[in-house]
Formats: sequence, structure tokens, C-alpha cells
Amino acid sequence: MPIAPRRLGAFDGGVKAVYNKFWLLKWRTILATREIWRPKPGNNIFRPRRIKRFRLRRILGVAAVFSAGYGNVGSSIYYALGIVALAALGATPVALGAAGVLFIFTALAYAEGTAAIPEAGGSASFARHGFNDYVGFVAGWALMLSYIVTISISAYTIPPYLGLFWEPLKSSPLVSTAASMGIVFSLMVINVIGIKETSFLNVGAAVVDIITQVSLVVIGFLLLFNGPALLHSIVSNWPTPGNLVMGIALASLAYTGIETMSQMAEETRRPEKKVPRALILLIVTVLVLFAGISIVTLCAMSPQALATEWARDPVAGIAANLPLPVLREILQPLIAGLAATILLIATNAGLIGISRLAFSLGTYNLVPAVFKRVHHRFKTPYISIIGFSLVAFLILLPGFFVPNVFEEMGALYVFGSLLAFMFAHASIISLRIRKPDMPRPFKIGGNIRVKGRDLPLTSIIGLLATISIWVVILVTQPYSRWVGLAWMIVGLVIYYFFRRRQRLRQSIPEPPGL
Amino acid sequence: MEYKRILVPTGGGDADEEAMQLACRLAKKGKTKILAVYVITIKRALPLDAEIEAEIKEAELVLDHIEEVAENEEFEIDTDVLQAREAGPALLDEAVERGADLIVMSISYKRHFGQFSLGDVVPYVLKNAPCPVILYRK
Repeated sequence: MPIAPRRLGAFDGGVKAVYNKFWLLKWRTILATREIWRPKPGNNIFRPRRIKRFRLRRILGVAAVFSAGYGNVGSSIYYALGIVALAALGATPVALGAAGVLFIFTALAYAEGTAAIPEAGGSASFARHGFNDYVGFVAGWALMLSYIVTISISAYTIPPYLGLFWEPLKSSPLVSTAASMGIVFSLMVINVIGIKETSFLNVGAAVVDIITQVSLVVIGFLLLFNGPALLHSIVSNWPTPGNLVMGIALASLAYTGIETMSQMAEETRRPEKKVPRALILLIVTVLVLFAGISIVTLCAMSPQALATEWARDPVAGIAANLPLPVLREILQPLIAGLAATILLIATNAGLIGISRLAFSLGTYNLVPAVFKRVHHRFKTPYISIIGFSLVAFLILLPGFFVPNVFEEMGALYVFGSLLAFMFAHASIISLRIRKPDMPRPFKIGGNIRVKGRDLPLTSIIGLLATISIWVVILVTQPYSRWVGLAWMIVGLVIYYFFRRRQRLRQSIPEPPGL
Repeated sequence: MEYKRILVPTGGGDADEEAMQLACRLAKKGKTKILAVYVITIKRALPLDAEIEAEIKEAELVLDHIEEVAENEEFEIDTDVLQAREAGPALLDEAVERGADLIVMSISYKRHFGQFSLGDVVPYVLKNAPCPVILYRK
């Protein structure tokens, strides 16, 4: 019979246990006072009761965590610009900037949450600790939707970038969607078998990505930047207030993916320090690069061209519109190859992220155990990987028939991500109220005092802003509304029956003699 | 040469026994501590703290056997199961944390595409180890 795992430091009852705990606490206090050692949440040692010798080895540093995060957040720019331009037109940089402020608040909330609770669940873990299992499940299920759409949207934007090498990949919806599905299928097979991937690959990809993006921004500013023309382009293509709000809502798409870093916390050495550092580094890099790229894009092409011809591959559009033919010839294939690689890594990260999340939720009995079933030979959660890949296929399916599926997919991504962000902000506030004394190695500044509790202003604003944007998406985007709500309802039904069955199981009396 | 702490990574290979015997002979009773570790590598699609029953049982069996080998040499050793993404960095991290001044590793004779191969872990340890490494091939 499997026995529930326990953590070191959890004591059984009895006088001896109380005595032991007293001495442990006394020594901890002495060591902490002399600054020799401090208790850190990341120091928890996971030991199943049955196995005495079993420890986790955390080896990742700031570079590895940052690169994993940038691989996901940084990849968004390769498709987000086009989606934002569809609504915000000339105000695309403004919309990205406004969403960027929300991104800072969200990243700060994740920094505090991850440093205090370095678990694989991200906002689902925060919600479970901040509220209860039910809210933890809802946050986790919303996060799952976000991961699935990450898989679909990243895979959907790879073929247009590769269209430079074979035109039908960009021009034909049939070829393009089939190629996207082929990519998801290949990654599904690879992940079921379980490839050996090192964190060095992520670091290398992030470095090459940043170098290319910086080069593009510098070259763009040198060759394309024209202040008055840019201003004219922005002013003459200024959207209606409704479209601007919609643009800001869609722009939050560019900053999703921050969850990946939170997931990495459980394998980071001293996560309470290194994850917040990596998050702050990510905020600065992303904001600077996204601002530069969005400005260069509007210098390179009109908002209309960005929203139509280059909607799915906007960064390729910059390279294609460079004035020097030599640079065009060098940068176009380089950008195409690099963007496709980055998006492929992001697709894979989505698949890995969702299977880890499902396993994590399964560990806390929030989803049925089938989600954490591991293949006897490959040692991978094959049911999760195959199941969620099939859902990603379903999301890609309209690509064969509906021309504007790209925008719908983007809005659905925002629906799931914002819901997860909302729970992250709410959980941080709730944890401050319900567990004010819990160790917080990173604590957000700028607090307001309400009934003796310090509440972070950034999280309050972030919560209100995410709710507002989420409502805008819900009201204006019928596809996201119905698909997103259907996903959440399906999840709640699964949760209800699963928990009910569990309660029934627990309430069955054990046979006498056991 | 006198070693105070010897780390012996084990993987269930056929040369593990001899490597442990070698470590015991290099050690001095009462002065040297021997630590045998088994690293379970977890695929990236799973959280690092995922419990895979089959892997844990196998690790237990291997370490139990290694303990017996050490007992036959009249040595009492420490054993540990680690769970990590990659075995190489995990072993070295353990060596640093435990202050190991010698690593005794065993390897099996393996061929990849017709060529003798050391795999990934051994070259990593040889390249980055903070202390001397003895490699034992059966």
C-alpha cells in the first residue's frame, strides 16, 4: 500500500517529538541570530516515509532560470506584435507599454510567491496555499488552458516564418495548419519517449535570441528610424478607444510565459534569492527589447501591413523591409530560422510545462491520478502529454477553415493566462492577510496597511487590471468566451466528480482486522 | 595517501561491486567515510519531486547490495538516493557538499555506433570534479 510522503521537519506526536522540536527550534534561532544559517523554504528535503535516503538535487542558477523564462516570454514577441496590431494599429507600442506595466506588477507577484513557495505549480500552488484546494484547482486548470494555447499558437506561427524557404507554409492555410499539427505531433512523440535535454540548450537559445533581437533593434534604429514619420504613422493610425483597450488586452499576450520561471523554482539552488533576481532581469530585458522591436516594426512597415501580411511573422517583416539588400539577404533567413527554433522551444516548453503542472496537481489530489501516470519504460507522464497534445490539435483544427483563427487563439491565450495571473495576485494578497508571518525571502515593497496587514499596492492594482482586461476579452471575444468557459466548466465537472469519488472512498469503513 | 571522504556513485552496473571494494581498500577504518549515491534522473516532463516507484525500488536494491559489499569488506558506509535532472552535476554537487576528497566511479564497457563510449556522466565528472577521480572499468 502506498504511504503518504512526508517532509523533513514534520514531527509525529509524543513527548520525545516535542522535546526534539524544541531543540531544533532553539538551534535554528541561535544559528539565525548569528547569521550562520537561516531557514529557507527551498531547503525542504523531500523524503517519502518508506524511503529514508531520497533527496532532491537543485542545480539551476540565475542564468538557467532566466533563459527558461525568456525562452517562453521572449518567444511571444514573434507573434504578439501582429495580434496587437490587429486591434491597436498605430498604437501598438502604446498598448505594449501599458501591458508592460501590468507585466511588472505580475512579475513582482510571482517573485514573492515563488520565493515563498518554490513548488512546480506556479499560481496554482499560490492559490492552494493562499485560499484552498478548490481555488488551487481553478487556477491550475486555467493555467493548463494557457499552456495548451501556448503549444497551439507557438506551433501555428512556426510555418509562416519558415515560409521564406517554402512559400506554401506561409500562404496556404491547409499546408500551414497541417505543418503546425505535425510539429505538435512530433513533440508529443519526443516527449513521450523522453529526450535528454540540458539546461545548456535553453541558455544557448536565449543568448542567441537576445543577441539577434538586440541586433535587429540596433540595425532597425540605425537604418529605419525616422521620428516624425513614426509619429505620423502612430497618430494617423490611432485606433478607436474600444480598439485601444482591446489592443492593451491582447498585448498582455506578449508577456505571458512567466509561469515557466515559477515552475523552475523547485529545481533552483536557493530559489528564494535566485528566482526573484532572474525575474527582475527578465522584466528589464523584455521591456527594453519589446519596446525597441515594436518601434522598429512600425518604422519598417505600416500598421495595416503589420496586421495583415505580417500578422503571424512580424519580426520577419522587419528583416524583409530593411533598405539594404545585403542585410536583407543575411537577416531574413537568420530571423526565419531563429524564430522557428525559438517558437519550437516554446511549443516544447508548453508541453513540458503542462505535464509537470498536471503531475503537480495530481500529487495534491486536485486532478485524477491518471494525469500522473508514468510510462513503465519511458518514465514520462505519457497520458498527460498525449491528452493535452490532442486538445492542442483541436484548437489548431479551425486553422484549416477559418481565416482569422490566429486572433481568436491569441485571445484564448489571454483568457487563460489572465485568469492565472488574477489568481496569482489574489493569492499574494490573501497570503499577506491569512499568513502574515510566513517566511517571505522576497517581499514586494510599496504596501498599504489595512487592519494591521501589509497589502502590496502593485498586486491590488494588478488584480484589478487583470480582472478588467479579462472582462474585456470575455465580452468582446465570443470564441475565447465560449471555448474558455467550456474548458473551465469541463474542469469543474471533473473536479466535482473526482473529489466526490475520493470522499466516498475515504468514507468506506475499513474491514475489521486491518 | 589518506582520504577522509570517498564518494562512490553507483548505477547498478556490473562494475559497482569492484568499485566499492576498491574504495574500501583505499579507505582507513575509523578515519575514512564512504558514501555511496544513486542518482535518479527525472525527465523534464515531470516535476523534480515526482516519485517513480519503480526507480526508487531499483535504487534501494542497488544500494542495499552495495551496503552488503561494503559490510563484507568490514566497512559501514552511508548511502543516499538523489533525484535530479542530470546525474553529472548532481554527483559533483554532492561531492562538494559532502567535502569528498576522492570519487571512485565504475563504468561498464559500452559501445555506441561501434565505438567505445564513456557516456555523458563520466566525462562531465572527470572534467569538473573538485577532487581526484578514480575510474574503474571491469
